[in-house]
This record gives sequence, C-alpha cells and structure tokens, in this order.
Amino acid sequence: MANQRSKYEHLMYPIDWIEERSGLVGGIKYFLFRKVPSDINWFQTLGSATLTAFLVQATTGVMLAMYYKPDAKSAYPSIVHITNDLFAGWLVRGMHRWGASVFIILMFMHMGRVFLFGAYKYPRELTWIIGVILVALGLAEGFTGYLLPWDQTAYWATTVGISINGTAPFLGPFIAQFLQGGEFINNDTLSRFYAIHMLLLPAMIAGLIALHLYLVIRLGVTSPPWSKDAAGSGPLDDESEEKHG
Amino acid sequence: MADDRRVFRERQFRQYKSDVKKRGKPFHPYAMLHDTIMSLVTVGVIIALAVVWKWTTPGDHTGIVMHDGVASTEGTSGWLGKLTDDPADPGTISFTPRPDWYFYFLFYLLRIFKWPESVILGTIGIPTICVLLLIALPFLDTRAERRPLRRPVAMVTGVLVIFSMGIMTYRGATANESLGSELIGKVPEWAKQQGFANNPKAVAGAKLFAVAGCMNCHVYLGNGASNLGGPELTAEGAQHRGILFQVEHLKCPSCVTKGSAMPAFASQGQANLTLMAEFLEASQGPK
Repeated sequence: MANQRSKYEHLMYPIDWIEERSGLVGGIKYFLFRKVPSDINWFQTLGSATLTAFLVQATTGVMLAMYYKPDAKSAYPSIVHITNDLFAGWLVRGMHRWGASVFIILMFMHMGRVFLFGAYKYPRELTWIIGVILVALGLAEGFTGYLLPWDQTAYWATTVGISINGTAPFLGPFIAQFLQGGEFINNDTLSRFYAIHMLLLPAMIAGLIALHLYLVIRLGVTSPPWSKDAAGSGPLDDESEEKHG
Repeated sequence: MADDRRVFRERQFRQYKSDVKKRGKPFHPYAMLHDTIMSLVTVGVIIALAVVWKWTTPGDHTGIVMHDGVASTEGTSGWLGKLTDDPADPGTISFTPRPDWYFYFLFYLLRIFKWPESVILGTIGIPTICVLLLIALPFLDTRAERRPLRRPVAMVTGVLVIFSMGIMTYRGATANESLGSELIGKVPEWAKQQGFANNPKAVAGAKLFAVAGCMNCHVYLGNGASNLGGPELTAEGAQHRGILFQVEHLKCPSCVTKGSAMPAFASQGQANLTLMAEFLEASQGPK
C-alpha cells in the first residue's frame, strides 16, 4: 500500500497544487460525496436533465455562432449554408432548434416535480424564486432565438410578439422600441436579438443556475413527501438532551 | 403563534439535516448514476429530434426546392416541419404569424380576451399575474405539510393550471389557418355580397387584404381566423371611420388605437393602403 502510494504520488502534484491554492478539490469532493436522502427517486433527475439540455444549447450555440451572420442580408443564407453545406451542420442546428423545446419541457416538468413534492417550502423559497426567473429567461431565449433564421415565420411571429410587448402599460412601448431598434423589425432588431440571445440571456441563465445549484447543495434535496422514512418528517429529536448528552 | 411555527420549521429542518447525515447515502455514485442516465436520455432525445427533422424532409432533405428556377421551401415540411421557411419579406404576410409551440398557450389567451377592451389582460395581464403568483407561491403556502393528499388546494390548483395550459397549447396548435392564395379567389363573392363590385378601388383593396395576411387575425364574411383576437371586419365600414382614419391606422395601429398589438403595415405604401382603406369603408356588412 505504501509502495503503491509513492509510485503514483507524483500524479497528484498538480491536483495538490490546485487544492492548496483554491480548495476546489475539497469542494468537488464535498459535492460528490455529500449525503442525500436514501429515498430520492427518478423524478429528482429532472433538474440535472434540464442542466444537461442547457449545456447542449450552450455548446451547439457556440458552434452555430461561428457560422451565423446576424444581419438582414446574410442571416437567411448563412442558416441555409449551415443546414445544407457544412459537415453535420444540420445536426448542430437541429439539436439547437429542438434542444430549445426539450429544455423548456424539462424546465416545466422540473417545476411540476418541485410543486408536487412541496419542495418550494421553507427553507427552499429562494431556490424556487430563482427557478421561476430561470423559466422566464428560458422563454425569453426561445422568443429571441426564433427571429434569428430571418425567415417568414420568424419575421412575422416576432412582429406580433413585439407588438404584444408594446401593449404593456407604461413600460410596454419602451420595451417594444428597445427590442425593435426602430419603427419596424429591421437589421438592428436582428443584431439586437442576437446579442440578447447569445450574450445577455445565457450569461444571466448561467449565473442563476450556479446560484440555484449552490442553494440545492447547501439546503439538500427533499425526500419524496409520501416516503415512509422521509428525512425530517418523523418525530423531532429532543435537542436539549442532544446538547447536554 | 407565528413564532411557534418558525421555531418548529427550523427544528424540522435541523432534523432533516441530521436524518440525512445518519441515514442518507452519498450523492456519488447513487444519485449520480440516475442523473447520468437521465442526461444521456435527454441528449439522445435531442439528437433523435434533429435526425427526424432533417431526414423526414421530402426530396433531397435540404428543405429547398426549385420551382421554375426560383428557390422555394413550398411543400418541404417533414414530420417536424420545414427546415427553414421562405426568407423574411416585410412586404407580404401570406401566411400565419405563428410562434414556437411553447408560446401557443400565450397566443391562445389573445383569442379568449377580445379586442380591444380586455386584450391587455390576455397579452400582459394574465402572464404577469401568473409569474408574480409563482414567485409568491412559497409565501402564500407557508404550511410545512408536503404530502400531496394533505394539500388539496395546491393540488387542485396545480392540476387545473396544467390542464388549462395543455388545452390552450392544443387549441393554439390546431387553430384555423387560411392562405392568401385561397382567399383571393373569394374576392368577387365578397364584392357581390357587400355590394362594392362597381367600386374598382375597393375590389383592388380586397385583393390586397386577402394576400397581405390580414385574415390571419381578422374574420371577414366567415373567412379567416381570429387566432390572435383581431376584431371581425365584415361590417367595418358601417362605423364610418373614414379613409383617412383607416390609412393612418394601417400605417401605425398602436398610434391610433392605444394598446393595439396589430403590426404596422406602412411598408405596403400609401397607394396600397388607400386601396385597402377604400375596401374597408366599402364593407358595410352583407345586404
């Protein structure tokens, strides 16, 4: 045992170096080996599946951004080029196009699971609120991404969508004006939607996901409420005795 | 009382923490295994959708066909729809402005709340209230009880919300569409019924009206769709708003009718808009 250790010890140097300076290795170990209730079930994989769908969107999105051209003249031809000329371009675009739907379905299913389990209750209220904001931002990603192919469906659905934004009291007309960057949907609208879709919203979503996960790890995941030995559901320990004993 | 409840829930959470510590299992490998399988399924489904989308597209699977030397996407819908639609053209809307499917329930709200009095409820009111209610949920429902059968109000509300969103998505998806190419053939019949057959300007305006996509939102003599809640225009002329009003309204609907979600049609040009206005004013309802 001792021999084996010394034989491979040098492999650990870089990891030790990082750990000494950041404590990250300890953090990862804590994340991996933290205890979760023994009765958690398949429904509780929906959150990580949503994260996976987001990562698919981020990865395929970066690939698409390498070829997509966000101006009114070349947007449509660049989409056709991606779809029909590039190697596996159709696959990357298809995964981004349909991954959006999967991402949104998973967000709603995850939300439904949390609702069913009553997992939004004390002390996980903030986790829930961040989740609601993430759903809204996810839908905003869907709305802004829909314009980018610059085809008829995109153009006219967005025209109506912006008009609907414009009906909001007080802020509505300003939001519509800001989104549109002019009186009609034009070149500036497209580059604006592109910037919002691939810079602003993803950054906000990634940041909020990190916060969401931090809270999940800090507060722990709930047992299914109907479970016979759900954690925290039984008679409370007598804490005064625990302290003294 | 409120203090008791707070003390109780804090103790209950400490109990949860100690139960997990005593009886829980490590996240890795137990939960990790399930999470990994589920994530692989997710990626698999996404890839499968992309493959079906591409390879059920008719012809050479490029989504583009040549009609008399002109590239077109007509008839290229596979199982999951077209790869791309025709390029954006601000001049015509000979098709339905339709969002991605997960917004159908929002669009359907526009049909429930009719133009123009209550439309703000459908466009902004209900969605905003829903988001605020969702954010407020943990503060509205402060009981510690988590078992579904002991939370009848929450469960019934949840089921109703899911049910109504499902219905609205379905109704939004199956709402009637009408194509300009089919509608233009109805113009002579409209002219006869409305009695403007002798008014060439109104007839020309009717043709523009049929192809410009107006009837994706408006009903006229039983044709078209009110998917997006636009008012019926069969007897628009009976209100005698005048050519000038109609032209200004078409140019910028929300400038004339506050809160209107109708897109601006200024790109059609003054001459065309005047023809459409003639047509609208000539539409007094069938005699």
